[in-house]
Amino acid sequence: MAEASVRLPRKPKGERPQYFADPAVDKLISIILSLAGEVAVMHDRHDTLERVMAARGLVSREDIEHFTLTAEVAAARDKWREEFLAEVLRVVRQDREMLERETNRTYQSVVEAVSK
Amino acid sequence: MQPAPTHEQFRHAILPEMTIDESARQDFVKSLKYYLATEVSPGNALAFENRVLPAFEAREQRAPRDHHEIRRAMQADPCFKLWSSMQRSSQEMMWASVITPVERQLDTLIAKAKSLPAAGGTLTLDPDLPIPSYHAAVDIHCMPGGYHTEFAADDVAEGAIYDRAVYIYTMGRMSPYNDDIGASQVAWIKQKFPDFKPKRILDMGCTVGHSTIPYADAYPDAEIYGIDIGAPVLRYAHARAESLGYPVHYSQQNAEHTNFPDGFFDLIVSHIMVHETSNTAIRKIMTESQRLLTPGGIVVHSETPPYKDLSAFDAFMLDWDTLNNNEPYWGASHELDFKKLAADAGFDPEKQFVALAPSAFEEGEARRTKVFQGGDFGGGGVWFLFGFRK
Repeated sequence: MAEASVRLPRKPKGERPQYFADPAVDKLISIILSLAGEVAVMHDRHDTLERVMAARGLVSREDIEHFTLTAEVAAARDKWREEFLAEVLRVVRQDREMLERETNRTYQSVVEAVSK
Repeated sequence: MQPAPTHEQFRHAILPEMTIDESARQDFVKSLKYYLATEVSPGNALAFENRVLPAFEAREQRAPRDHHEIRRAMQADPCFKLWSSMQRSSQEMMWASVITPVERQLDTLIAKAKSLPAAGGTLTLDPDLPIPSYHAAVDIHCMPGGYHTEFAADDVAEGAIYDRAVYIYTMGRMSPYNDDIGASQVAWIKQKFPDFKPKRILDMGCTVGHSTIPYADAYPDAEIYGIDIGAPVLRYAHARAESLGYPVHYSQQNAEHTNFPDGFFDLIVSHIMVHETSNTAIRKIMTESQRLLTPGGIVVHSETPPYKDLSAFDAFMLDWDTLNNNEPYWGASHELDFKKLAADAGFDPEKQFVALAPSAFEEGEARRTKVFQGGDFGGGGVWFLFGFRK
C-alpha cells in the first residue's frame, strides 16, 4: 500500500473527559473496544473468505460447519487457546505468580535496601 | 432493526474508497454505537429511577430542579460513567475509522476534486478569513482538525472525513445522501408556505452540502448558495455538488458577516449549525440574516428540541455532548429564547415560529430509537425547527 503523503491527526483538540478515578480505566475501556473492533474486522474478513470459497465451489459452508476434529487437531487448538489465554490474561496470571514466588516485601523496601 | 450497512451510503464521485477491512471497522463502529444507544444507554434511566433519584430525594427532600442537578447527581453513577466512557471511545473510534482511509487516498481525492465534470456551480475561497474562536478553541464533536484545518494544498480531507463520518454517526438514518435534515426542513417549508417561491436561497454553515442539495430539488428555479468557514469542506461540497449535477455557489464566509448585498435572499436556512456557534455569534447571524433577507423572506434553522420541551432527565441525556463530545455551545443553544432573539435582531417577534418537522427519510423509520440522546443523533425521527419571517 502506498505511503500516505500527509499524516492526519487522530487526537481532537480539547481536553479528554475523565470518567473513572483512575484515568487508566478510561484508557482500558478504549483499548478493549478497539480490540473488539479488530476482532470484528477479522470476523468479517473470515466470513468473506468462506463465502467467496463457497461461491467458487472450492469449499462449502457445510464443509466448514461439519469439519470433524481429529484428536491431533483438537490438541493443537487446545494448546493454541491456552497460550492465547495466557497472553491475554497475563496481568491476572501475574498476581498468582507473585503470590507463589515472592515474599510480602514491598518494591519500595528493595529500593531503600539497595540505596542505603 | 439494525442500522443500515455503511456501504449503503450513496457513492458519488468524491466519496472516499474503503478496503474491506476499513469498511468492516466502520461497520463495527456503527454496530457499537447502535448497541450503546439501545442496550447500554437505557441503563442510565434505570440507574436514575432506581438509585440516583431516591438518594437525591432522601438527601435534599425534593426533586432535582433541572438537568444540571441531574447531571451532578448522575456523574458518580457507575452506569453513567461506563456508558459515557464507552460513548466517548466510540466517537474517537468513528473518526479514526474514517481518517485512516482518507489519509491513505488524500492525493487522489484532491486530484479528483479538481477534475470533476462541471454542473455550473462555483467555489470562492477566502484564505484570509479568520476562523472564529468557537471553531478554533476545540475540535467540534471531536473531529480532529475541525472543518477548517488544511493539511495539504487544495485539501479536501476534512470534507471527506465529515461526509463519511456523518453516515456512520447517524447510522444511515439520514438517507444514503445524509440529507435528511435539509429534505425534512424544505418539505416542511413547502407545506407551511405553499405560495412561497424563493429566487435565491442561502444555506449557512453548509459544510459538505448534505442539506443544501434538497433545496435545489424543491425549488429548481432558485439560485442556491452555501457558506461555511472551512475551506476543505467547501472544496469537497463543490466537488460533490458538481458530481451530482447541481449548480451550487459555495463560498468561504462567516455567517456573522457576509459579502452578499442587502435583501439578496428570500430564504436563509441552516441545519445543525446553530449549536456550533456561540451566544454572541448567533445574535450577529440573526442581525446579518435580517439584512440579507428580502421583505417577506424567511429564515429557518434546524436543531434537536430545546430542553424546555423535554423532561429534565431527557434534557440531561441530550446534553451529554456539551461536556463529553466537544460541543461547547450545545447546552446554551438548547436554551435560546427565540422571541428575544427575533426582537434583538429587528424581526417581528410575532412572526417567529417553531415546529417539529417529521423526517423525510421514511426508510430510516424502523431503525430509529425515537429518543433524543447523546450519541444517537437522528434517532428521534423529527427535527426541531425555529424560524423568522421578515
